[in-house]
Amino acid sequence: MAVDPMKTLGQDTPRVDAYERVTGRATYNRDIKLPGMLYARVLRSTVPHAMVRRIDTSKAEALPGVRAVMTHETHKIPYGSGSISGGRQYSDPHKDITTRLRYTFNEHVRYVGEPVAAVAAVNRHIAEEALQLIEIEYDELPFVMDVEEAVAAGAPEIWEGGNIAHDSENRQQPIGGQTGDLQAGFSEADQIFEERFTTAFIQDAQLEPRSSLAHWEGDKLILHTPTQGVSNCRHDTARDLGLEDHQVQVVCKYMGGGFGDKNGNYYFDLIAAAFARDLGVPVMVELSRKDDWLGTHGRWHTVQDYRVGVKDDGTVTAIEVNGKSGMGPYLRRSGNVSGMDVYACENTSKAILPVHTNRMVSGNFRAPAYPQGYFAISSMMDDVAYKMGVDPVQFALKNMVRPTETKQFTNYALDQCIAMGAEQFDWQRRWNPNPGSAEGPIKRGAGMSFMMFNARLGASSAIVRAASGGRYTVYVGVTDIGPGAKTTMSMLAAETLDVPLSSVDIVWGDSDRCPYSVGESGSRCTTMTGFAVVEAARDLKRQIDERGLPTGDDVLIASATPAPSTNGKLREGFGAHFAEVEVDTQLGDVRVTKYLTVHESGRILNPLPALDQIRGAVIQGIGQALKEDVLYDTNTGHPLMTGYYFARHLTHLDVPEIENTFIETDDGYGPYGAKTVGESGIIIAPATIANAVYNAIGVRMKDLPITRDKILEAVA
Amino acid sequence: MKDSTNGDLSRREFIGGTGAAIVAVNATTATAQDRDAAEARAIAEVPRTRIEITVNGQRQSVDVEDRWTLVELLRDHLGLTGTRIGCNRGECGACTVLIDDEPAYACSTLAVWADGRSIRTVEGVERDGKVSTLQQAFIEHNAPQCGFCTSGQLMSATALLERNPSPTAQEIREALSGNLCRCSNYNAIVEAVQAAVKMGGA
Repeated sequence: MAVDPMKTLGQDTPRVDAYERVTGRATYNRDIKLPGMLYARVLRSTVPHAMVRRIDTSKAEALPGVRAVMTHETHKIPYGSGSISGGRQYSDPHKDITTRLRYTFNEHVRYVGEPVAAVAAVNRHIAEEALQLIEIEYDELPFVMDVEEAVAAGAPEIWEGGNIAHDSENRQQPIGGQTGDLQAGFSEADQIFEERFTTAFIQDAQLEPRSSLAHWEGDKLILHTPTQGVSNCRHDTARDLGLEDHQVQVVCKYMGGGFGDKNGNYYFDLIAAAFARDLGVPVMVELSRKDDWLGTHGRWHTVQDYRVGVKDDGTVTAIEVNGKSGMGPYLRRSGNVSGMDVYACENTSKAILPVHTNRMVSGNFRAPAYPQGYFAISSMMDDVAYKMGVDPVQFALKNMVRPTETKQFTNYALDQCIAMGAEQFDWQRRWNPNPGSAEGPIKRGAGMSFMMFNARLGASSAIVRAASGGRYTVYVGVTDIGPGAKTTMSMLAAETLDVPLSSVDIVWGDSDRCPYSVGESGSRCTTMTGFAVVEAARDLKRQIDERGLPTGDDVLIASATPAPSTNGKLREGFGAHFAEVEVDTQLGDVRVTKYLTVHESGRILNPLPALDQIRGAVIQGIGQALKEDVLYDTNTGHPLMTGYYFARHLTHLDVPEIENTFIETDDGYGPYGAKTVGESGIIIAPATIANAVYNAIGVRMKDLPITRDKILEAVA
Repeated sequence: MKDSTNGDLSRREFIGGTGAAIVAVNATTATAQDRDAAEARAIAEVPRTRIEITVNGQRQSVDVEDRWTLVELLRDHLGLTGTRIGCNRGECGACTVLIDDEPAYACSTLAVWADGRSIRTVEGVERDGKVSTLQQAFIEHNAPQCGFCTSGQLMSATALLERNPSPTAQEIREALSGNLCRCSNYNAIVEAVQAAVKMGGA
């Protein structure tokens, strides 16, 4: 199913703000200066678990240039209105009933890096100096860093009632559920396989260290902060401070990297707001790189135990997973693990326990529950395929999910992605049917994996305006975190209005000037906010057709808040990845020599940045597969890496060229059939690399990241 | 304003009550005037040095605090915020500028060390009000995603093409290896530099 060419959509289009981004003119949060602005810094806990016995700020307060010091004794501000933030996408009732309240400063500190005090001063040097003058005594408590130990009998209690995280009704129970009949599925099986997989914590590590600039106009808070969702950040902040939404304005024009965990507010937004309110001047809270590393979030680490039943003909009859996700001491996001539904097998059981530890807090990172889930289930199935003597591609085609009477898709392209990828990659030639059999110290191998990812529809708003002279303005609450949302929204309006892109202006990143947007997370911005732009533009075009273009100072305005649905059908994007690696069995290095992807993401609205969303996400996923981790000294509870250097992020020298093909379709839903692109590329990259490493060395690597030491141990 | 009783203290009370904490802090200095005088004295006591520095072709004499880094001088005191700070400790390369045509991390260079040197930043790359060839290639090839590393990547690439007008892809990767891109848009950045080479250089 191909798509018809369009005038604006589908054309490679440089981003509408590319000029600002390449000339340094784009204003990121720390570039903003307001008259009389103070700088604030946050002091953090140096112990993993303790009660603050005494905190003495007198010396810091006496330092000339210090204007205020804040601690749990002076300010008790709930953060995330309990434990979960993320605006209207999370239920407000839960925030009212939660029994595990988190504050901006907690007397009971639960991880190294937890905020314990903040200082506002006339410049950042004085603020930093003052932090060192704050004296704190802790009554240290036993701590726990491992998810298994955290739920064992006698473990230190991070929260009263035990270390299993609460769900939205304050219950401690696993995420998941059953489909079909698991026992019948295992009875039907000729062979049953069991395996344990683990994945590491991955810091989002956005390049822009976070900051928040607050000032007040009377009872109204104006907050400049790097957020993926001005609307959700406003709602969170208002709730936490006991304000109405309209009393908070959130502004974010540019921000240096999103990756999922910024669609809400942060504690430093509340610190900035409180300082600014108290002192009557603008206050900018700045996080250092180390602050940002310790004091924000990353992908939750997991332990996953799989059990799979297979018939002799290679049909999977039962899948069971029991797992634990490490959430750190506060629950910010779900802790779920995904991937099982890409298989046709109907007899399944999933039980994932989100567990508190005294590590840094986990949160969302690009496809939050997916890469770690797909790594485990795809490695498991790859292993089963080899053990059953089946080519992994054939095993995939046999067991992948397919449309059925009860499982209908708006369109389906998984088989096509796998087949096209295998052909383009030359799977038969590159794949070694006898893993690890290659001669010599450098062993070559190939691996593959396949995925689907929900291309959700849902409510979002947009306003489109026509003015005289043929100028059009789109008002959308997006911030353009990197994928090019401002450009996509402008292109959707231009196409729908049938006008040149150059006649469309955009107003963005300001909760006072733009209507509600779900924000840029969950790959929903184009499908939801983009659909609202199309609906509003259609309405405006009808108005123009009826009344003509406005003249003089007159304007025509249309708004839309559509909430489309797929009438029970599944709407998914599909993909298949293929990788070839060379493993140096003497040094333990893994070099990716070829990486090829095929994605079906509906109609591709702007091919230029869409390609780079896939390529960048794949490279992040390769980093997750081979390098990234946050290691802890388990004796002290301190992390061993607090920035880029030891975390081994990939550089220009480490990355292969990623080849991608989009299979374009229009399923009749979403904006001109567009689906999701932003997260799709990362989902199966770790799995694909791990499967290729297996094919090269003949040993299954079950623990991410697959670092040199693990390779050397495996081949020793 | 609504009242919420989620917590030991209602949030409305909290917002109303925070002023008390500030009164306590301010009480440690007798008056605002005394406070301002003490602050002015403290800031005046910080060792300072006058340096001669050329920034984007303009020679200037600047009084700098000895503790300022070059990126601090550029961003906070010369208004050149196009140079970004990603780590402030020599790990990421977002702050890369050219010092006498060589790329350097401005976060790891003290401002006083730049005395007598010539600095180029992203703001100095445009010529006659037009973007450079590299900037044009960065636009056309989508080199920025979030854009936060872009200034640094661009400055490293500018230095490379000025000393080697026709680098190989591997030479480009090596020259830019000190510039992290967490969006991992590495493929596009290298393609943009290659396109600039074809278009005639930096």
